[in-house]
Amino acid sequence: MNPLKLDFDKGTLILQNVSEEFQSELPDILWDERTLTHRAPAYRYRHIISQLRAHDIPYEDAARQFTVKQFDNHKTLSPYPYQSEAIDAWHANGKRGVISLPTGAGKTFIAILLIADTQRPTLVHVPTIDLMHQWYEVLKEHFGQEVGLYGGGQHELQDLTVTTYQSAVMHAPHYGNRFGFAIYDECHHLPGDQYQYAAISSIAPFRLGLTATPERVDGKESRLYALVGECCYEAQVQELSGKTLSEYRVVTIAVNMEDTERVQYEDARSIYLNFLKKARINMGTSRGWQTFLWKSSQSEEGRTAFKAYLTQKQLSFASAAKQDWVWKLIQRHRGDRILVFTQDNDTAYQIGTRFFLPVLTHQTKPKERNSFLNGFRDGTFSILVTSKVLNEGVDVPEANVAIIVSGSGSVREHVQRLGRILRKREGKQAVLYELISKKTSEQFVNQRRRRHDAYQKR
Amino acid sequence: MITKDLLRYKTKDGQIYPQFVKPTDSKLLSVSDQLISIFEASPHTPRATLLETSKHIVDSAPGALIVKRGLEKLLLDRTEFDTAPNEELIAFRQNLFTETSRILSQVQFSDYEEYQQKVSQIAGDISQSEKGEIGDRLYADLPNCQPVLSFKTLSAEHLLHRYNTAQVQGLLLHCNSLTLNLSESMTAELRQLFKYLRFNQLLSTIRKEKIGNESCFQITVDGPLNLFYKTKRYGMNLANFFVAILHQPKWEITAEIQFRNKRSSRLYLNESCGIKPISQQFLAYIPEDIQLFQEMLHNKTDDWQILPGSQFLPLPGDYYCFPDYQLIHTSGIEVWIELFHPWHQGHLLARLNTLAEQVTTPLILGVSKELQKQTIIAEAMETSDHFSKLGFTFRNIPTMGSLLPILNSVVDSDI
Repeated sequence: MNPLKLDFDKGTLILQNVSEEFQSELPDILWDERTLTHRAPAYRYRHIISQLRAHDIPYEDAARQFTVKQFDNHKTLSPYPYQSEAIDAWHANGKRGVISLPTGAGKTFIAILLIADTQRPTLVHVPTIDLMHQWYEVLKEHFGQEVGLYGGGQHELQDLTVTTYQSAVMHAPHYGNRFGFAIYDECHHLPGDQYQYAAISSIAPFRLGLTATPERVDGKESRLYALVGECCYEAQVQELSGKTLSEYRVVTIAVNMEDTERVQYEDARSIYLNFLKKARINMGTSRGWQTFLWKSSQSEEGRTAFKAYLTQKQLSFASAAKQDWVWKLIQRHRGDRILVFTQDNDTAYQIGTRFFLPVLTHQTKPKERNSFLNGFRDGTFSILVTSKVLNEGVDVPEANVAIIVSGSGSVREHVQRLGRILRKREGKQAVLYELISKKTSEQFVNQRRRRHDAYQKR
Repeated sequence: MITKDLLRYKTKDGQIYPQFVKPTDSKLLSVSDQLISIFEASPHTPRATLLETSKHIVDSAPGALIVKRGLEKLLLDRTEFDTAPNEELIAFRQNLFTETSRILSQVQFSDYEEYQQKVSQIAGDISQSEKGEIGDRLYADLPNCQPVLSFKTLSAEHLLHRYNTAQVQGLLLHCNSLTLNLSESMTAELRQLFKYLRFNQLLSTIRKEKIGNESCFQITVDGPLNLFYKTKRYGMNLANFFVAILHQPKWEITAEIQFRNKRSSRLYLNESCGIKPISQQFLAYIPEDIQLFQEMLHNKTDDWQILPGSQFLPLPGDYYCFPDYQLIHTSGIEVWIELFHPWHQGHLLARLNTLAEQVTTPLILGVSKELQKQTIIAEAMETSDHFSKLGFTFRNIPTMGSLLPILNSVVDSDI
């Protein structure tokens, strides 16, 4: 009998000469009428190979287009004990799995050590362009070799390559067989409807997920574990605070709106709430927001209600009183490195324009992005205003003060923003200020958010 | 394409019906004309000004708001904005922020106004600008301020056809596969259809079916991963592919449309929906590669005539393929050529497997040398009887040196 042949085709595996007995061992292998071959999703590569070996079935592997590569880490830093534990746990889990550590706990360093251990061409997946460039610098610094970038207009593959999830979804069907090790940074993004195909279309047998918070509101973390491996190591922010993370405190400032804004807010909110009542929309349900969007687009009254919704939201996010507080805090923290977070770009630019500060959003062009981030790191700029692009991963260890002017209300977002100021430095005391508009929906959201562990430590 | 919030459709008894506009509706034609005029006059206008002007038409002209917003969106898709970085402004910001950062770290201001005055003074030193201008100019290169570079104009009627096409494409983004029925009496437009299919990395199975009294080709189109997942991964590819379907004289499609957290509905459409093709490039013309091929062949021999592929070729096992070229010998012998480029690995393996059952199919296979580099492909080619008789390889385009001997052998053996 001819040996089984295995090949990679557009994010899947094509198998030829598959015996019936073997097919019954692997439910994921299906007969494809369109190409008259057997086919399997690419991520099942490792399982298929191990089954072939276990059953002593001869095979020809034309799918795998990578070999062992030596990556020498030029930096001789020693891992903290918990980092060593995480590395051991990942190895013990069969070189697969998710490591969950708070922001600032050195997840990237763990990945560097595992790349050197694993010795396979590695593809690092990240959610944003800023993170892509940050990983690029870190990999270059540690391994002293060319690093490829795939995403944000860059299309260069190297044995060490960094890509965005978005780009990987599009291009993994072409290069998904060139990497033996796949790293998914901020891997809670991976189970998304589209992003999961970045992992499904890759044959990489070794997989590492990194995140501070693997849990998802939609419960799809199980999909993450199926594609990357189970959570093999976890430590909470309280366990590391003061040891490997900075001491921190969270200060909530309840801000009174100015009288004119309060009137505008109440008027707009009442129009919005009346419409919800009349249209019988329950915003507390999972379909509430979608229903509101749909019904508000159907009539003039609905469109007025939608505008009112935006007005009251905008007023609570960016009242003049909040901006006055931003000024007070900037003055109070002269000499500190301050990150100002907003929910939307408009508010970020309002603050940037009012206080003549650099603003970093997804609209900032790459060259200026780097200039703002590097300027903030080296102290040229002591304050950086941003909406959401710095929520995740981007390393700004010098930051010790965060001012949250407005946010989405999600616990994950606030924990991530807190994480931006937690990287340890000698004598550093981090402070996170939350500005909350009094007597608005922000107050309820804030109370809900504070139930998270990160707020419970003091 | 248009976004989901701009889609108009109704669902009833598991069917989904896109709500098309009448391309002859005088009111809509008038609104379209007004919007197109605004966009035609837009070069050098900042995005925000353009949107404000078009919003005025969208809000005030008669007709459903959702339709007018959809038309506006399609026009925006045809508008190119100047997104190049404004280096002068970037340098100004860099200098100003360096200074504001310095003074905010060092100076205790009595109030905000004092700080503002100080910054005005600094900005004046940097750029000699007037007082009070800084706020307006600081981020004057944001998308809303970007000027229009160009706009690809079109007629009002064409815009309404585009709108109807976009309604279907917007639904197809939410499907995982599509079934296309084409009647047998097809012409050269089919070639474009199959080129588009391959270009969009889609897979297909072609079967001959009898619908009523009429025999037709049923083509099921989806992607490799559809075998395992009910995925919308290829929704964009299928939506793009729909543009090519519109060029067929007689067609019908069915697709299961499923929006997130909703039940799926069946979309059925045929040529009677009245949407005109929105792209000129699909009109029957002789593509450059055919012209080149014709010239090369003509330089070597007058015995063969080459034509673009224009019909389905039956294969063993009730399968069909749609070859790229048809060659006709002066004696009347006809053969077909199907080319396989580096990204057609799955297609080639399928073809070799199908042809393994019968060597008499007059189909010549041209395989890219790049594709041949893959062990599994090379082996499949080596062990294929069909390929040994009717196969050749090529680097960029097929050459007569490798093709002519095969053509001669076909004449000699009269396959």
